[in-house]
Amino acid sequence: MTRRRIILGAAALATVVPWTLGTAVPPARAHDAKGPNGGQLTDAGKYHVELVGKGTRLEVFVSDAKDAPLPATGFKALAILVIEGKPQRIPLQPEGTDRLTGTAPAPLPSPPKGVIQLTAPDGTVAQARFN
Amino acid sequence: MFARSAAALAVALSFSISPAGAHEGHDHGAAPPAASVAAAPAGARAEVVGTAFELVAVAEGASLTLYLDAFATNEPLGGADITVETPTGPVKATEDGDRYRLDAPFLAEPGRFDLIATVAVGSELEILPLTLVTTSAAAPARAAGATASAWLASWWPSLPGWALWSVILLAGVGAGLLIGIAAGRRGGRAAALLLALPLAVAWSERAEAHTGHDHGDGKTAAIPVAGERAQRLADGTLHVPKAVQRIFGVRTVLTSQATFHRTMELPGRVIPDPNASGVVQASVGGRLSAPPGGFPRLGAAVTKGDVLAYVAPPIQQIDVSDMRQRQGELDQQISIVETRLARYARLVSSGAVARQMYEETQLELQGLKDRRTALDFSRRQPEALVAPVDGIVADASPVAGQMAQPNAVIFHIVDPTRLWVEALSFAAITPVSASATTAAGLNIKLAFRGSGFADRSQSIPSHFAIEGDTNGLRAGQFVTVQVATDERRDGVAVPRSAVARTANGQDFVFEHTAPERFVPRPVRVEPLDGGRVLIVSGAGAGQRIVTQGADLLDHVR
Repeated sequence: MTRRRIILGAAALATVVPWTLGTAVPPARAHDAKGPNGGQLTDAGKYHVELVGKGTRLEVFVSDAKDAPLPATGFKALAILVIEGKPQRIPLQPEGTDRLTGTAPAPLPSPPKGVIQLTAPDGTVAQARFN
Repeated sequence: MFARSAAALAVALSFSISPAGAHEGHDHGAAPPAASVAAAPAGARAEVVGTAFELVAVAEGASLTLYLDAFATNEPLGGADITVETPTGPVKATEDGDRYRLDAPFLAEPGRFDLIATVAVGSELEILPLTLVTTSAAAPARAAGATASAWLASWWPSLPGWALWSVILLAGVGAGLLIGIAAGRRGGRAAALLLALPLAVAWSERAEAHTGHDHGDGKTAAIPVAGERAQRLADGTLHVPKAVQRIFGVRTVLTSQATFHRTMELPGRVIPDPNASGVVQASVGGRLSAPPGGFPRLGAAVTKGDVLAYVAPPIQQIDVSDMRQRQGELDQQISIVETRLARYARLVSSGAVARQMYEETQLELQGLKDRRTALDFSRRQPEALVAPVDGIVADASPVAGQMAQPNAVIFHIVDPTRLWVEALSFAAITPVSASATTAAGLNIKLAFRGSGFADRSQSIPSHFAIEGDTNGLRAGQFVTVQVATDERRDGVAVPRSAVARTANGQDFVFEHTAPERFVPRPVRVEPLDGGRVLIVSGAGAGQRIVTQGADLLDHVR
């Protein structure tokens, strides 16, 4: 009798606990949300990429899947964006510790449209599409 | 009892695993239908959908073939300027017929390639990412491994660390059971908690790793692609490579919801315009004979007043005898009057005979001669049958020497450019517009002319004039008449060719969900007009529905 109770109790807990845990977590944010730095936030492989355009200056912030910022050191990036109706290829380099930057030949539109190719320190490549 | 309890535990465990499979949030892999096929080394393909274009890249040896199509219509786009950012720098694609080619020496080594395509067509400019995964020809394809271990591996979730959590979970269950047994009745609650703890921990970790969203790298349902071949997948959707779509000529239309007049379908028949057709009938029975040019053959053009045939009334034996008798009498009278006239001519000058008598005799002779001539003439003169209208000979069956009955129709003359349609309706109709379709699919525009008021076999005949070209139509041909009524219906209008019908009689359309993916959607359709049908259920606005090539897609197995 005891054994039966134990097993049944365990079964009930095993059913309920993951359920509550699963539903308690709020649904993940949608794509192309506003990032913490005021730019467009989107996914690139296992990273999240935020693109901030300030005049001709382009800033890219990289964070992990839980939106925790990652140091930019070791990352490389290439942005191809539509600027004034023409495609522009803008290489991005790490600046400081938290961002990758580059300079566009003309002021960036808001929001910028195009693709950012991110090369991680481990050599894997991921792409983020902004549109 | 233990067995029952264990079964309950098993059920609960299996239940608790299910929410992990249905994780909410979003998926970081390529779009679910993306054909990230890595089975065939030569067939590695990537696809991306922009706002105006669809781009599909297929690795073929050391070159990359790009297919560029319009998003809404699936029409191949030529004259585009495509530059691809490759690992070796930007490369411009060259147009090759209806596709584009790119030298891609980097594809010689297998691996994952992230490319950025810059596509410019006219004033449209889009920058699209592409991810191409190629495998080496020597590497054994995972799909081919039909061994027991591969089967097991396919069952085991491929999450990192899953094995570790499974061990913890099993250990927890085992420990809980042991403690429960050891502690007996009193320790039951504590044991249950102990048991639940590792379970909960294991699950909370797993849930954390899994809720939110999945960062899988495109491990969507792999499609066993064998070259450029269309195939129906296990879930009923169709994978149709772009090269095959080009051959099928697949075109789509972006649907939009609209309000249309409700349409009724009526059976109809092409009839000649009553004001531009006629019949040629013999008013008397008689023998037919051809005019100098012969009888007009079928289809010959005739103009109003043309003599088409002669009909000579036959003369009965008794009439012949009568006429002979009459001729004899007339001849006799003529000779008597002639003699008398000669005598009067001599005497009139002497005054023995009045001039009046001489003149009367002259007139009498003239009258007798006329009657004699008429008698001869009436025996030879047949009736001429003339065309009553301009047109062509639609129906004719005259043979020289044939005896025609009085009122027999010898010729039927129809103007082929002026035809009507007679349709039978079970209710009085006041059409807003009308059109008709022939069995061959020809679409005809109609103008309502009027409805009858008298019932004809429990229906009302309605007349429509065919507007425009009547080429290919013939009198008596059966057509389906679509009559738009005042009543309104909401739905999505698609061409008739978009709707395919399965063997069980169900109607469906193909939705173009991804560049190389088509999903059959069962629909309920209603007639709209000659060329279009109305989807009232099963498809909504904003979907890309195949309008051309649906029947070919239907045959893909």
